[in-house]
Amino acid sequence: METRLESKDATDLALFVKVSRGDIVEWDRQRIVESLIHETGLDRETAEKISLEVRDIVEDSGIKKYLTGPLIRELVNTQLIRHGLIDTRTDYTRLGVPIFDVHEMVVQHNKENANVPHGPEATNLSLAESIKKQYALLKVFPSEIAAGHERGDFHLHDLGMIDRPYCSGNSLEYIKKFGLNLPNALSISKPPKHPEVLLLHLIKFSAALQGSFAGAIGWDAVNLFFAPFLKGVDDKRMEQIAQMLVFEFAQQAVARGGQSIFSDLNIYWEIPKHFEGVPAIGPGGEFTGNNYEDYLPEAQRFATALFNVYKGGDGMGRPFFFPKPQLHITERLFKTEGYEEFLNLAAEVSSRMGNTYYVMDRGETAKISECCRLSFKLEEQDFEDAKTPWKMRYSAMQNATLNLPRVAYQANGDDEELFDIISERMKLMAQAHEYKRRFITRLLSMGNQGPLGLLAMTKDGEPYYRLHRATFLFGMVGLNEMVQYHTGEEMHQSREAFKFGLRTIAYMNKESERLGEEMGMRFVLEQTPAESTAYRMAKLDLAHFGDKAASVMKGSIELGEMYYTNSTYLNVRERINPIERVKKEGMFHPMIHAGSLTHIWLGEARPDPASIANFVIKTFKKTLNDQICFSPEFTSCLDCGKTVRGLA
Amino acid sequence: MDVKGFMETSLVDWDGRIASLVFTPGCNLRCPYCYNHELVYEPGSYDNVPKESIFSFLDEHSDFIDGVVIVGGEPTVHSDLPDFCRALKERGMMVKLDTNGTRFGVLKALINENLVDYVAMDVKAPLEPEKYSRVAGVDMNGNLDGIVRSIELLKASGVDYEFRTTYVPTLMEPEDIEDIARELRGAKRYVLQKYAPLNIRVEELRGVAPPTDEEMDALVERARRYVEDVKWRGK
Ligand code: SF4
Repeated sequence: METRLESKDATDLALFVKVSRGDIVEWDRQRIVESLIHETGLDRETAEKISLEVRDIVEDSGIKKYLTGPLIRELVNTQLIRHGLIDTRTDYTRLGVPIFDVHEMVVQHNKENANVPHGPEATNLSLAESIKKQYALLKVFPSEIAAGHERGDFHLHDLGMIDRPYCSGNSLEYIKKFGLNLPNALSISKPPKHPEVLLLHLIKFSAALQGSFAGAIGWDAVNLFFAPFLKGVDDKRMEQIAQMLVFEFAQQAVARGGQSIFSDLNIYWEIPKHFEGVPAIGPGGEFTGNNYEDYLPEAQRFATALFNVYKGGDGMGRPFFFPKPQLHITERLFKTEGYEEFLNLAAEVSSRMGNTYYVMDRGETAKISECCRLSFKLEEQDFEDAKTPWKMRYSAMQNATLNLPRVAYQANGDDEELFDIISERMKLMAQAHEYKRRFITRLLSMGNQGPLGLLAMTKDGEPYYRLHRATFLFGMVGLNEMVQYHTGEEMHQSREAFKFGLRTIAYMNKESERLGEEMGMRFVLEQTPAESTAYRMAKLDLAHFGDKAASVMKGSIELGEMYYTNSTYLNVRERINPIERVKKEGMFHPMIHAGSLTHIWLGEARPDPASIANFVIKTFKKTLNDQICFSPEFTSCLDCGKTVRGLA
Repeated sequence: MDVKGFMETSLVDWDGRIASLVFTPGCNLRCPYCYNHELVYEPGSYDNVPKESIFSFLDEHSDFIDGVVIVGGEPTVHSDLPDFCRALKERGMMVKLDTNGTRFGVLKALINENLVDYVAMDVKAPLEPEKYSRVAGVDMNGNLDGIVRSIELLKASGVDYEFRTTYVPTLMEPEDIEDIARELRGAKRYVLQKYAPLNIRVEELRGVAPPTDEEMDALVERARRYVEDVKWRGK
């Protein structure tokens, strides 16, 4: 073969190369040629030319013995740039991390964030994520979109997990019906017969899902779906099962480098309307012959047991961060016997620990995709699905967050310009969603044996991941600062400013609907829980927009602790009274179909649970707010110091 | 009656309710542990809060706010307190009064006129003038009449109420709580408040450690021998 002959020409170098696959081989210029052709599709002539140039550089360099594959690749890249072969260079990129960074990560404590675990498994994850993120930006998204993310016009979340969908809402019924039958698992479990086994399956399945999703793993109506397993279970055992469930979920963090499973347990006191008349699945995956409403007493006892666990906290009496208990507040709740006492218990948990999230399901709307609390009016299809609840699996595939303050800097006070820029950005973000969809679809299409095998399993006749139900999220950061820069006032400062905020979100909502229709995808707005994104955007804007950004930025620029206000929140540092906050922030919620939430800071005092329950009920009845939770520690989130009661 | 402070929303000052708080100046006692001593000693150092702004807040948020808690200082030292309560009532607000119970006549007038829905009355010490004087920081002149009559009034009145004692170690003994509870026998509700050394005027008390949760639990147990509904509040 011609190439082989050529490679042995007398002028080749007497050097050895440490190659990435793990060997030391003789220098062979032809390897450069072949890999260029194979990896980038470059024509042979140019490849030859470049390889010869690289050989000359190596020869001149005086390197005596060993070269490394990565070094040769960089030399090749340099030559590609010289020849103006930019795209070829991109395709020939080597992804990796500087040795200094790896050393810092592996040996040093992560100084930037002391809360981030840095054990061996955790650094494995970080390193892998950093490479996959580079891959995503170079390979999955076109450069225009990648640049939008890198510049900080918007933020594509979890790029380090590009090969997984974002979050998932799941149904316990799937496990009850099909057992734990995971692809690649060495052993298969039949449908469970005892509540303890069901519990273990739930935890294990969650851990498996954590490996296939980037974000939250939600479980719907957990207490209700457990109920058929809890007939005849006495109080003591009930308490133990509840304890096991919360502790096991909470402690899963040890398994994956200190990363908790972002788990949500959705809890109902009543029988949700859509589960009424639905045949219950019991031990062994068999229908029990009864409907779910027949198990209401067990469901309620289990719900009570779970909140009692939350009330007590962990072994040190500290709150559990995960799994998050999400209590659904509905019209039916108030018609279901015993709700006052139960709500008081949940409120006592709020008062002591802060755990309880109160999810407001008004009218016909239900938040049934528990991962990001996606709320939607139940459509006919959903009522159909509810009859076979194992089918109720939902997911948001990707989350992209728009940097709103930057839009204001660029619009220079011009309304029309402002909305135009928002449209332009959202269009790019929508395209990013489209690229993600294509990528995930491709991985899913490889079926059981593919990388997303778990999500491709078809136990109930369709893939676990129901692509046609996937949603894509548009988040936003810093509406408050955008409004402040554009109108001169923060949203809590004047009616006009607040109204402009509402108008902006209404516009984004309309845009997302329009784009969704155009592209045949489900787009919704989300309140991104994005502290780190808010920080990243603030930092980039300070660098690129200087005084403009500094004039509205929150936090301390001197200390490097600046941030934008999350999503559509009002200024978190202002002592806006909680009623006003719940009402005003709630006015955004009907336009934001995922993740809307208002935090209420309790300060140092521990309110009477009945007062909290009272506040929850009024929030449900008198506002549009989608979800609230109470945070006992004012100081844990803000630096405004202690809240002193009375005349502070 | 001047208002020296207004807290728009509180979930901790009226059990089960969402309330606004109104602070009034001045007091006829001088309790060494008083948290609001500025209001007692130098009420002039605070600006008045215009009542219109209070009323407009209440009107705007009457869908959430159940009522207003009037605290001091000691609200009953103001002869026009009933007028203020009446104005609140007219806006559909419930009224809770925090009082030291010394001004029996004012309390009685408020109750007779249905101007209060809940009274939280301090019983600061066992009902012996000497002990009481020590805890209240003024000489009761051998006379606890007003307090005793207020206690009887509340027990008999039908208005919802609680008696309460701030338990301050060094200023009192666990036995004192038992004595107070005995004197309150038959009362509807008795609440012990955990002393917290914040914003304390009297030097010697600043270093006093608050009682532990366990000590508070034990006090509640003692008091339960005489009053059925006893609990403690505090951090
Ligand atoms: S009665 Fe109340 S306001 Fe007056 S001094 Fe005592 S604690 Fe302070």
